[in-house]
Amino acid sequence: MPSHRILCVDPDEDARQDTVERLRTELTEFDPVFETAATLDDATAAVSTDLAAVVTEYDLADGTGLELVTAVRDTAPDAGCILYTDAAPDAISTDELRGTITEYVGKGSVFGTERLARLLQTTVEGKSQASYPLPQNERERLAALQSYDLDDRALLDSLDRITDLAATHFSVERASINIISEHSQDFLACYGGANEWDTMDRQDSICTFTIVEDDDVLAVEDVTEDPRFESRSDTLLDMGIRAYLGANLVTRSGLVIGPLCVYDDEPRSFSAADEAYLRDLAAVAMDVIELHARLDGGVETDGEEP
Amino acid sequence: MSGGADGVYEFGDGVPIEPIEAGSTVLVAGPALSRAEDLVRSMVADGTETGDGMLFVSTNQSCETLLDSCRRLHPSFDTDRAGVIDCTGQDLAESQFDLRVRSISTQSDLTGIGMRFSALYESLYADAADGRVRTGLVSLSSLSMYVDMRALFRFVQTLSGRIDSAGGLGLFSIDPTTHDTKTVNTISQVADGRIGVREPEDGDADGELRVRGLRGQPDDWQPFTLP
Repeated sequence: MPSHRILCVDPDEDARQDTVERLRTELTEFDPVFETAATLDDATAAVSTDLAAVVTEYDLADGTGLELVTAVRDTAPDAGCILYTDAAPDAISTDELRGTITEYVGKGSVFGTERLARLLQTTVEGKSQASYPLPQNERERLAALQSYDLDDRALLDSLDRITDLAATHFSVERASINIISEHSQDFLACYGGANEWDTMDRQDSICTFTIVEDDDVLAVEDVTEDPRFESRSDTLLDMGIRAYLGANLVTRSGLVIGPLCVYDDEPRSFSAADEAYLRDLAAVAMDVIELHARLDGGVETDGEEP
Repeated sequence: MSGGADGVYEFGDGVPIEPIEAGSTVLVAGPALSRAEDLVRSMVADGTETGDGMLFVSTNQSCETLLDSCRRLHPSFDTDRAGVIDCTGQDLAESQFDLRVRSISTQSDLTGIGMRFSALYESLYADAADGRVRTGLVSLSSLSMYVDMRALFRFVQTLSGRIDSAGGLGLFSIDPTTHDTKTVNTISQVADGRIGVREPEDGDADGELRVRGLRGQPDDWQPFTLP
């Protein structure tokens, strides 16, 4: 597992170092990498997409911890945010922050940093401030995803042909095979308009919901009418996505690396036969990836013998 | 289970639910007339018997009404170990109650509710036996009228994470008849289990319940009675 980047922000240097040292002591097995900042400006500059969590005081010389939380949500939407502060909750104005969530731990807590450490670990490992559900086997799933060489041109050409077949069958202008990484959705193979798409935040993708479906297929008749996607439907409509059908690529160990998807720019329903067809094509795509890995030699697919 | 208090949480005689493992969050789903919300309040107030902290996030009963409900469910309800986040928007003088109360002016302010929840939780955790705290959120359906589903999901997942990390018990009520099935199913993914509640078919029971997703629980609908 990669190490976790934790940003600690406190204007008081002694307090800042003290928090880091205590967290480091209590989280030895968690493998955190700490970075520190004293001001909102410096902290904001240190925020990047791979940030796991920020632990911040509320009162900063050039702003507040909640302004930092807002900035973190823009850049690293899945990151955990914890206010670790002397300020009482009632003294903190939250009126303008609707929908933004942060944890709160008072510095005066009799438990000191022990509870903070435990909460930090749960928040990061369970991604508990993300706005989408995580698969129960997320850690194994990410490890499986990393075990494949998904950059090979011959493999990608084969997968492109599968998205062509899917688009033709469903008479749509966009189809793709997507992989769901820790923080993002990446487009592995694309047909038509999907070639213009870039990596997107995981929280904005439909597929991050597909990978937790029990029957490995998700149909969305109209993104503007679905409570999971309506708040993001403007972006989806701009991409030409009004209706969606996705079927998961499942490894031999039952781990989902991402789905094969078709997209329509008009609302439409999908039949059981449609779902079965896409599921079959997704299984073919997964076979191609696993056979390619075996032909390539030396790549352990999913840590299991056939 | 990760963290704090070990063991299980137990419930009163009229509620046919086997002890639930510490660290769990459970969705309690029933229509408005089913007494699902009373069941949540009762299962939290049962903490009076075991020395647990009891924390309510109340959207549709003011602190005063909620306290009356708890005292009706448990005449010996221990306000010293109870806390309420009153989200009804009513003006209240927090000092008039002999328990920990925090108010929030609007249910759309999930940030404010979440931070008050965290602070009250820490305070109850300090005073409760072995850091055991039961949380009752009544109700998610009310909050969903103020925020979109993804914001609500993030909020519920954050609360659930705190309860897990502290070895608590979370009981969140939802009225599935007022939501799209997709909303209920998505929110359910945060919870470790689900208790379905319906009106009784006949007899003296206050309702019937069925547990899903938790180990060691009966499969069928069971009648329950509340004090």
